[in-house]
Amino acid sequence: MKAFSQIMVRIPLILWAIIVIFPLVWMFMGAFKTNAEIFTSPWALPQNFNFSNFARAWNDFNIGRAFLNSFFVTAFGSILTLALSIPTAYALERIRSKMGEVLINVYLASMMIPAVLGWIPLFFLLMKLNLLDNLWALSLIYAISHVPFTIFILIGFIGNIPKELEEAATVDGMSQYGILFKIITPLIKSGIMTVTILNAISYWNEFFMALILLQTESNTTLGVAMNLLKTKAQYESAWGVLFAGLCIAVIPVIIFYTIFQRSITKGMTEGAIK
Amino acid sequence: MAQTAKQRYLFLAFCLLPTFLLFLVFTIYPMLGGLYYSFFEWSGTSSVKTFIGLDNYIKLWNDSIIKQAIFNDFFFVFVKVIGIMILSLFFAVALTQLRIKEAPFYRIVFFFPNIMSVVVIGILWQFIYDPSIGLVNSLLTKVGLSEWARPWLGDMTWVLPSIAIPAIWAGIGLFMLLLMGGISNVPKSLYEAADIDGASEWQQFWRITVPLIWPQIKTSILYIIITSLNGSFVLVQVMTGGGPGSASEVMGSYLYQRAFEDFQFGYGAAIGVLILVVSLITVLISQLILKKEKVEY
Repeated sequence: MKAFSQIMVRIPLILWAIIVIFPLVWMFMGAFKTNAEIFTSPWALPQNFNFSNFARAWNDFNIGRAFLNSFFVTAFGSILTLALSIPTAYALERIRSKMGEVLINVYLASMMIPAVLGWIPLFFLLMKLNLLDNLWALSLIYAISHVPFTIFILIGFIGNIPKELEEAATVDGMSQYGILFKIITPLIKSGIMTVTILNAISYWNEFFMALILLQTESNTTLGVAMNLLKTKAQYESAWGVLFAGLCIAVIPVIIFYTIFQRSITKGMTEGAIK
Repeated sequence: MAQTAKQRYLFLAFCLLPTFLLFLVFTIYPMLGGLYYSFFEWSGTSSVKTFIGLDNYIKLWNDSIIKQAIFNDFFFVFVKVIGIMILSLFFAVALTQLRIKEAPFYRIVFFFPNIMSVVVIGILWQFIYDPSIGLVNSLLTKVGLSEWARPWLGDMTWVLPSIAIPAIWAGIGLFMLLLMGGISNVPKSLYEAADIDGASEWQQFWRITVPLIWPQIKTSILYIIITSLNGSFVLVQVMTGGGPGSASEVMGSYLYQRAFEDFQFGYGAAIGVLILVVSLITVLISQLILKKEKVEY
C-alpha cells in the first residue's frame, strides 16, 4: 500500500518538476538558436552552441551595462540595509519601552501598506532632491523599503542571545557600541546571512521602482533593460538575443541560490516567517 | 563604571534615529503624500496643481476600466489562493510525510521560479504563449488539437487565465516551504497513533495535518492575497500592458499607465488610495473568515 501511494505521489511531483524546468531549458536552448531554428523546431536542441546571441545581448542591447548596474545596486543596497537595520533591531529588542513598542508597530504596519501608494510622491521627492536616475539613490530606496522586514527577522535572532553575555562585557568595561558591533553582530551571523540573501535576490530582481526612478539607458538595471530588450527584439525579430538576455538575468541567481539554498530553507522554515 | 543616562540616550539615538529619519522621508512621507495628491489635478509640472476635492474619486467611481480592474484583481486573488494552496499543500505533505529519497531535488527545483525576476517570468511566459514561436500552440498542434491553438494573450476570454498560470507557477515554492516548516513540527506520535487506530491517510490529512498547520495555512492565504493585490500588476504590465483593450487591466497597472504614461498624477494617486482601501478591507474580511480556534492535541 505504501509503495503504491509513493508511486502515485511521484507522478504529480515529476510532472510539476517538468513544468518548472522545461520552460527554463527551452529558454536556455533558445539562446543558442538562430531565428530559423526557433521558428521551425522549437523542441529541438540547437544545431551548434555558439555564443553570438549572448555577445549581442551583452554588447548591442545594453545587457552588459545593466548587469553591472544591477550588481552595484544589489551589493550596495544589501550592505546599506544591514547598516540601517542591525542597530535598530538591537535597540528595539533589548530596550523594551512604550516608545519601542510604538516604533515596532509603525514598522510592522508599513509592511501592510502597498508600496504603489507612495510611488508618485517618491518620484517627485527624488526629482526635487535631484536624485532621479541615480543608482546610489535607488540603492538607498531599496534598502529603506526592506528595513522593516530585515528588522523583524533580526529581532528574532537577537532575542535568542542570552543577556548575560552583554552584562559580562559591560563589567569588563566594554561600551554599548562595542557590545553591538563586536558581540551581537557576530552572534547573529546566520540571521544576517538569511535575510541578506533574500534581500539581495529581491534587489537583483526589482523592476518597477527602477522603471520609474531610472531614466537614461546607461543607468538601467537588468529588469528595465530586459523589458527594453523585449520591445526591441519583437521589432527586430531578434528572438535568440532575447533568450540570451533572459539567461544572463537568471543564471547568476540560480547559481547563487543553489549555493545558498540551505540557509534560505533554514531561515524560512525555522523562526523567520511564522 | 555605570553608564550615565545621557550616554544611554545617545546610544539609543545612534541606533534608532538615522534609520527612522530615512524611513520617515522615504516611506512615510510618500505614503501620506499619495493621500494628499489624490485631491489634486496635476500633470507633474508644479505650476498647475489645482485642488479639486473629491473629483478624482468621483471619476474613479464612474470609470468602467476601474471596475474591470477590480474584478480582474479579485480573479487573480481567487485563482492564486486556490491554485497555490492546493498544489503547495499537496507537495508539502508529499515531501515531508512520504519518505521520498529525492525530496531535496523537488524542494530545490520547485523554488526556482521564486528567485526569478517577475520581468523574466513575464517575458518567458509571454513567449511560451506566443502564437508563432511559443510552446503552447506548438504542443497543441503536435497532439492534434491545433484548433485549440490561439493567441492566448490577445484573446479577451483567455488572457486572464493565461496570466494566472505563470503567477501560480511562480508562487508554489515559497508556500510549499512555509507549509513544510509547519508539517515538520507536527509530532510524529500523532500519526503513529492514528495508524494504530486504522485511520486512512486521507483522514489523517484532514484530522491531523490541516488543523495543526492551520496557522501556516492562514498566513499563506493572507500573504497570497496581499502580494496579489499589491503586486500582480507587474506580471500584467510586462505580459500584456493591461490588454487586449482593458481585458487584463488590474489596479496597479492602471495606476502606472494613468500616472507615468498619461501624466495624470492626481488620478493615479487616487487609484493608489483605492488599492490601499481594497487590500485592507480584503485582508480584514479574510481574517474573519479564516479565524478558527487554535487546535492543540
